[in-house]
Amino acid sequence: MSTSLSGPEPATQAPGREPVRSGLPRKSRTARNHAPITATGLVVKVVLLGLVAGIAIWAAFPLIEAELWVGLAILAVTTAGLCYLYLTRRHIPAKYLVPGTLFLIAFQVFPVLYTASTAFTNFGDGHRGSKDDAIVAIQSSSVKQVPGSTEYSLSIATKGDPTAGPLVFLLTDPRTREVSAGDAAGVRRLDAGQITVSPTGKVTAADGYTILNFGQASARSPEITDLVVPTSGGAIRSNGLSRAYEGKAIRAYDAGCDCVKDSETGKTWTADEATGSFVAADGERLAQGWQVNVGLRNFNRVLTDPNISGPFFGTLVWNFAFAIGSTGLTFLLGMAIALALHSPRMKGTNLYRVLLILPYAMPSFAMLLVWRDMFNTDFGLVNNLFGLGVDWFGETWSARAAVLLVQLWLGYPYMFLVATGALQAIPRELTEATSVDGASPWQTFRAVTLPLLLVALSPLLIASFAYNFNNFNAIYLTTEGGPFPADNPTVGATDLLITYTYRLAFGAQGAQFGFAAAISIFIFAIVATVSAISFRRTRKQEEVYS
Amino acid sequence: MTSLTGTPVATGGAPAANRNAKGRRKSRWFRQVGWRHLVAVLAVAFSLFPILFVLSAALNPRGTLSSTDLVPTGGVSLENFANLFDRTAFAHWFVNSLLIAGLAAFLSIFLSAMAAYAFSRMRFSGRRVGLLSLLLIQMFPQFLAIVAIFLIFTTMTDLWPTIGFNTPWGLMLLYLGGALGVNTWLMKGFYDTLPRELDESATMDGATHAQVFFRIMLPLVAPILAVTALLSFIGTINEFLIANVFLTNTESKTLAVGMFGLVAGERNNNFGMFAAGTLLTAVPTVLVFQLLQRYIVSGLTAGAVKG
Amino acid sequence: MRIRTAGVVAVLGLALAASGCGDNSKDEPAAKESPKAASGKLVIWADDKRTAALKPFAEEFGKENGVTVEVQAVSKDLQTNFVTASQQGSGPDVVVGAHDWIGNLVQNGAIDPVQLAAEQKSGFNETAIKAVTFNGQLYGVPYATENVALIRNTELAPEAPKTIEDLVAAGKKLKAEKKASEILCLQSGQNGDAYHVYPLYTSGGGYLFGTTANGDYDPKDLGVGKPESIAAFQKIAKLGEKGEGALKRSITGENSIATFTGKKCAFLVSGPWAIADAKKAGIKYDISPVPGFAGGKETQPFVGVQAFYVAAKGKNKALAQEFVTNYVTKPELAVALYQAEPRPPALTAAFDQVKGTDPDLAKFSEAGRNGQVLPAIPAMAAIWDPFGKAEAAVIGGADPAKTITAAGKTIAGQIK
Repeated sequence: MSTSLSGPEPATQAPGREPVRSGLPRKSRTARNHAPITATGLVVKVVLLGLVAGIAIWAAFPLIEAELWVGLAILAVTTAGLCYLYLTRRHIPAKYLVPGTLFLIAFQVFPVLYTASTAFTNFGDGHRGSKDDAIVAIQSSSVKQVPGSTEYSLSIATKGDPTAGPLVFLLTDPRTREVSAGDAAGVRRLDAGQITVSPTGKVTAADGYTILNFGQASARSPEITDLVVPTSGGAIRSNGLSRAYEGKAIRAYDAGCDCVKDSETGKTWTADEATGSFVAADGERLAQGWQVNVGLRNFNRVLTDPNISGPFFGTLVWNFAFAIGSTGLTFLLGMAIALALHSPRMKGTNLYRVLLILPYAMPSFAMLLVWRDMFNTDFGLVNNLFGLGVDWFGETWSARAAVLLVQLWLGYPYMFLVATGALQAIPRELTEATSVDGASPWQTFRAVTLPLLLVALSPLLIASFAYNFNNFNAIYLTTEGGPFPADNPTVGATDLLITYTYRLAFGAQGAQFGFAAAISIFIFAIVATVSAISFRRTRKQEEVYS
Repeated sequence: MTSLTGTPVATGGAPAANRNAKGRRKSRWFRQVGWRHLVAVLAVAFSLFPILFVLSAALNPRGTLSSTDLVPTGGVSLENFANLFDRTAFAHWFVNSLLIAGLAAFLSIFLSAMAAYAFSRMRFSGRRVGLLSLLLIQMFPQFLAIVAIFLIFTTMTDLWPTIGFNTPWGLMLLYLGGALGVNTWLMKGFYDTLPRELDESATMDGATHAQVFFRIMLPLVAPILAVTALLSFIGTINEFLIANVFLTNTESKTLAVGMFGLVAGERNNNFGMFAAGTLLTAVPTVLVFQLLQRYIVSGLTAGAVKG
Repeated sequence: MRIRTAGVVAVLGLALAASGCGDNSKDEPAAKESPKAASGKLVIWADDKRTAALKPFAEEFGKENGVTVEVQAVSKDLQTNFVTASQQGSGPDVVVGAHDWIGNLVQNGAIDPVQLAAEQKSGFNETAIKAVTFNGQLYGVPYATENVALIRNTELAPEAPKTIEDLVAAGKKLKAEKKASEILCLQSGQNGDAYHVYPLYTSGGGYLFGTTANGDYDPKDLGVGKPESIAAFQKIAKLGEKGEGALKRSITGENSIATFTGKKCAFLVSGPWAIADAKKAGIKYDISPVPGFAGGKETQPFVGVQAFYVAAKGKNKALAQEFVTNYVTKPELAVALYQAEPRPPALTAAFDQVKGTDPDLAKFSEAGRNGQVLPAIPAMAAIWDPFGKAEAAVIGGADPAKTITAAGKTIAGQIK
């Protein structure tokens, strides 16, 4: 995107000092820098830029506090760039494109790039974090209470300030009611005379110590969790804010052998950087792994796994049929109704319009669920109303017809609205002129209305096609991809590539983000090619009618 | 509606002749207007019958998704509507949705109207690539982007809690990320249908590009601005996938998220309330539509071409 | 035109200014307070129903201890969102969910083991403790158990059927007399429902996973696709659409309970969550174990356990542990949660306390006495989808042997 912003056409860059009045209309459009700057324009500009600067300053403080210098630099460069852009007279297209593009980059381009980059990793359940995360998880999930050890009552105390002083655990042995103080240095017995112990065993007061209440203590939660009081058999750890136990991490990581050792069984699991997990000699893997780069393995799997490449072609064909069908049918119906209502003699169009857009106003996920139910063989409204016994979602073609019908219902109000807007925008003189010339309404429509509608709507039709190509909800909330052949539960008759990917990547063994990203890149490449080709065809139209 | 009386149309000169024969008048009326009503009524019937089903469930005190009849069997009551306000934070969701969808629609329309202007009227290198990229970026599966969204907003919540998780502002920013997209395409298509002579002559009269944009282009595309605003409003109100991750606090939820919770929680026993909520969700949309309707059907463009 | 444009600009400017300035003014105090407030705060994530039930008690815990407690509902994909959010550091401190999540949560390092004192542990129902134990560690504190049973309309069917054949006979008779339109309401849907059909599967002799010596499920011993599972599905096929017509794909999770409460079928296979609806509809009902095939094995429904977990990457772990191990383990809370949503409490003391007032509880837990704890191993995730689809195909009349063998292959391919 950035290239499009920095390089306006030469005509814009040449500062048009004098009005270009003749010839070349295209250049004259861009050479308008001579125009005087109005007072309102200036005020608005100054206010808006001031606002940007204000927001930037507001945003800068937390960044400085957190010492995120890169973030601060990005912020500064963006702000300076914005100021430059709107104060200079050059780069006119950029003035119009940049505001939206900034949001686009932050919230769409970045997520897409990030996701695409995971296609080269084993990112997924069991391999989400770093190796350090995995080690921490392995160690902390192996902490076991030392057999026969004491469960202490715990009070959290400090010798200093309750918000900052070093923490001490005051531990009461429930049997002997002896109290000890524990910190990172170890445990030491406290004199019974210095302390008050409540009937439940908690220390409520101790000489020289301030006891923290729950509120104070929970404000220092991470310190409490991290405080480990070493003992001979293991270590005393807090368990919440009122109990402590002596526990021991059975498994520990040894950097020397890059492995995890189990102190009870003596078993070791060595780190395998290729798969991102700790593997024992007998092949057993620890559940907690980490994210590693796997190169093209995910892409390989898409191409070589017969479960994936096998049904791929059939699914792709249906996917195109679905996207074209959804777009085409909604467009035809929407346009037909818009044309029918587009008459000056027509009364009550207001009411009709409101009623017609209702399907679009209802939350679509809710209506998808309702439709699914209406297609139920025995209880559904469709069969009951028309006295049919069709197993709608049980047969390939009826299921396909059903999802297309649902799409039609959900989508045609959109096309109706857009077509209505487009019809309103077509200058009435044009249609009037042709009908005065004696053309039939159909000829007028073919010769004037339709071409103009297509100019206005063909970009939208492409966009709608692209949206429907990946319309996850339309399938997932109705047929879930079914019906499935009895001997293959992985791909169903109404599956789109996206629902199919979803099932592959998230259905079994938890989420496999890396793998899903790889499939998505394949799908993306296909759709992009198709869209780009159809997009090229719009160029002609754009030039003809503009 | 004002446009109805204004423009004389070729077929409109009929009334005098019609007085003669009743039958002919009728058939003529049908040929010119009547069939339009027929189409409209059929379309309305198609639109409404699933909604009647929802209405029936909303009025049924034992509202379930399974009632096969359009008429509620267990009697009619407004219990579900009352429960919606008593037992859930429905009022909060409603306000949140209006706020987020209203503001996001307004801002994103503005952003994409600007971008569409540049794409339609200016020629710069990378223009077509830019347009195509806008389209392609929308095609990446959203459920995969959720991880990245968590990544971004965890940082943002730490730094600027006012625009972090569980705030309407953060969600709105996120929605603005999609401002350039389908809407830009839609509007660009409409700018393309406007004759270039309009803005060219204005430029020659000494108007700046900003003046051309704000004073000539925007008013001319008012119908499509209204349509896009409505579509964007509906789209935002119905958006679920991202809002569900973003808003966990009961009171900061939007309608889509809150209501999904009614049916997602456990089996189907909230369906009556859910149906009631679904109907209420449609109310603001219909109101916004009413509000924008006069722009959608206004004859602004016709006038402008003349001048 | 001029006025309108100026108006648009002004409104836009104001809107921006309002949002911008509003942020500024609001944010100053918020930013300064938040570090303190945030650390004295406990955030709990649960699904919607449990959020509503939990809220008052969590807030009371907060009040007693001078901390803020927020219970937040995640309506969809709670487990996935919890894992993702946790990993990025924006997750909650405590999460509430079914015990079969444990395997996945542990492999992602999202939850920590909880340490319960021996006397606390002994207060729980044994099955519940077994369910939340994974790799020898206790990962959650259970609060309720649930399993399916046969709920029947006693006006239509006064006698509890001994076998599924008896049930079908009784159901057919009612259908013939036009007293009901369905024989049995056991939800399947187009893509099957492994959870609800499981009792019949076990009665037919099928199993999912074998067990290792120490009683854990063994992902290497997969029962789907084995001869026993084929035999079980052959029996299920006889009840299907091409057979007796007792099992139908048109009966779904959305309509099965409603069909029962609408008196259109006399028998419903469902869990404690269906009772509220039945009561509301004024149905006279009784609860008994799901009957098995004549001459078959005893039915074994899945037993699921709802539990509280301590997030490994929560911001306030100490408080989370305090809440989960010392507050959730109190019988009073368990009773209150039961009253908000009637599921059998996992705490024996709480169960005994409510048993007297609610005879349904004992009947449900009797139906689940013989049940199987839902496997928590990550491999279980690979079962649900293929198994359910195989079930739906068999009910619809597909050849059981072929279907189940294919499902077994698919599942085995997905378990690594």
